[in-house]
Amino acid sequence: MATNLYYFLASAASTAEHGASAAGEGGHGAPLFKLFGLDVTAQVTTTWVVMALLILLGWLATRNLKREPHGLQNVMEFVTEALVSFLSSVMGREKARKMMPFLGTLFLFILVSNYSGLIPGAGYVKGFAAPTSVWGVTLGLAICAIVAVQVYGVQKKGIRYFSHLFKPIYLTPINILEEIARPLSLSLRLYGNVFGEETVTLTLLSVVPYVLPMAAMLLGVIFGAVQAIIFTTLTAVYIAMATAEHH
Amino acid sequence: MISVGAGLIALAAGLGVAFAAIGSATAQGRTAAAALDAMWRQPEASGAIQTAMMLALAFMEFLTILVLLVAFMIVGKIG
Repeated sequence: MATNLYYFLASAASTAEHGASAAGEGGHGAPLFKLFGLDVTAQVTTTWVVMALLILLGWLATRNLKREPHGLQNVMEFVTEALVSFLSSVMGREKARKMMPFLGTLFLFILVSNYSGLIPGAGYVKGFAAPTSVWGVTLGLAICAIVAVQVYGVQKKGIRYFSHLFKPIYLTPINILEEIARPLSLSLRLYGNVFGEETVTLTLLSVVPYVLPMAAMLLGVIFGAVQAIIFTTLTAVYIAMATAEHH
Repeated sequence: MISVGAGLIALAAGLGVAFAAIGSATAQGRTAAAALDAMWRQPEASGAIQTAMMLALAFMEFLTILVLLVAFMIVGKIG
């Protein structure tokens, strides 16, 4: 049943992308060149740019750490502190600080990826498209998140962690199905939002070329941040559930 | 010339998204109203309420997104 669902969703995603490219989105999903036999699309190259940007930002901010931060270090400390205090309400401050390297990276990558689709030329310029507007990228992120949940759960409780699948025993199939559904729902939510928002902007653009698409882009600014927060929060909730102590 | 079949597919896609949007908008409105009510009663719990509200909204939003993807899929079949 799960494989059927997978094929259905995969064909949905691919036809959705092809439908949009037929509607006029230039070069969506067409490979630019091959690397080690794998197709490199515009989304992949943009992913590299986002990665380089975040690594450069991290390096610049932590190159010369001071007790009294100013400049870039101040900005990054503010972002980190805001994220920690937000995630503390989900999983507690101690856990939030411990999981921050992973969750913070997820958040920043998704945020910058979503916003890269708002830069003029995204989707039209060769080699430049929002990475989160294809299902492959968001599914990769979701699989990372789910694997991390299992790893943290096993790290915390050992093999005993998997006992939650058999509690209560007659719900075992449902529990296993839930574990499979998690990455699907995480990835499809992010992909559907970014892709849907892009398509709406495109449709409005073809009807009224001026001013009106700005409304959709404004929604894109809000949704880009909200989706990044939701992806991170849901991952944090899953980690908190996996590492919770039962009494 | 657009065939009747293509028109029916387009109608199905449009109606599907419309009904999904009605459902999730109603549910999200109720959620937001309840959350605002709770925040007004207890402003010091705003942070926790906001997080829970956002998660609940995301789960409702997901159903609409699913219908949207299906709509794109069947519209792609008009070709």
